[in-house]
Amino acid sequence: MVLKAENVGLDFSIDEQTQRLINPIEHPQITQDLSNNVVLTTLNDLYNWARMSSLWPLLYGTSCCFIEFAAMIGSRFDFDRFGLLPRSTPRQADLIITAGTVTMKMAPALVRLYEQMAEPKYVIAMGACTITGGMFSTDSYTTVRGVDKLIPVDVYIPGCPPRPEAIMDAIIKLRKKIGAEGFAQRAQIQRTHRYHTVRHEMKVVDPILTGKYLEAPSRSTPPKELMAAGIPLPALEAIKKEQMVEVEG
Amino acid sequence: MSDAPVVSTAKVSEWLKENGFDHEFLGLDHQGVPILKVQREYLLPFATALYAYGFNYLMCQCGYDAGPGDDLVSMYHLIKLSDNADRPEEVRVKVFLPRHDPRVPSVYWIWRTADWQERESYDMYGIIYEGHPNLKRILMPEDWVGYPMRKDYITPDFYELQDAY
Repeated sequence: MVLKAENVGLDFSIDEQTQRLINPIEHPQITQDLSNNVVLTTLNDLYNWARMSSLWPLLYGTSCCFIEFAAMIGSRFDFDRFGLLPRSTPRQADLIITAGTVTMKMAPALVRLYEQMAEPKYVIAMGACTITGGMFSTDSYTTVRGVDKLIPVDVYIPGCPPRPEAIMDAIIKLRKKIGAEGFAQRAQIQRTHRYHTVRHEMKVVDPILTGKYLEAPSRSTPPKELMAAGIPLPALEAIKKEQMVEVEG
Repeated sequence: MSDAPVVSTAKVSEWLKENGFDHEFLGLDHQGVPILKVQREYLLPFATALYAYGFNYLMCQCGYDAGPGDDLVSMYHLIKLSDNADRPEEVRVKVFLPRHDPRVPSVYWIWRTADWQERESYDMYGIIYEGHPNLKRILMPEDWVGYPMRKDYITPDFYELQDAY
């Protein structure tokens, strides 16, 4: 017996049956629309993706490393494609790349900048100076031996100074680190006391640098002993000339 | 050794000697700039004379330590600044100060550029510039003890912040 299509009693038409038997040339419509239009992800991933794609670094540079960092901003290395926009205020930044030697006089300013940055914040220690003190680590009287003594560091870039490619590599590593973070662990790794402070019993005195540098009275007139010495100093001559003009005028 | 005769004087040194400004001629440096040594008591009249001679610009003021236990030196490099200057005349003045009493009059009232440079020399070597309008530390923290660029300076055993984080 020959099975003829006409003889088989089916609920659907011949055309539909052939569609089922042969592989259709066109792509099945339903799945394609799905994969084009629907993204399945977790909120965690979405949040991390958004954060790591818009890492805004603080414009912070204290010495030669910043020259390399500035090269990153330029078109040759172009770090805007990582979503890095340099910000000049810590309030808008969430990454600080410590480019250059940090001295003990600079350290309080660095800690304050770090404190003012918005959470979550990241630190990249760039160059030998900010990792260990670098070439100043043996007998310098002012260099901070590694910036991690002041603020927590996420990625270290070795080099003196590191090439812009090295910074790029560090940023990719930081992106991986951010991508692996989860909401659940965030409470655990939340750091409460992120910088070093020392209790002391020193007396607070008024600062000697008051910003009134140019208005200081000692700057406008020479000291009396000098006036009495009778040496025709240029500054004294100028004052005399002014007085002469005033008398004549 | 070159066969060039040792230069024993320079134009500006001659002029100063003629006008009664006593000093010691220390020779020329490798660029041919005459170096003059002055007693600190005569620095101000000496510098005023140099200003009158035409040295209107204090290019550099700095200090250095001649050696452990030796003198501290305050140095002034002067140049005649003018329009379209071609190899203008330069001179270097040095004042040697005893380490136990490093006081020298400030040249701030002659060349205003001495302001921060003398502060730096004070900060690094402890040379006290008398008559300076604002002699405070400029580079080191305000409460720093000692003068770090002196040859006999010993770096204090500073506190290492070992367990900061």
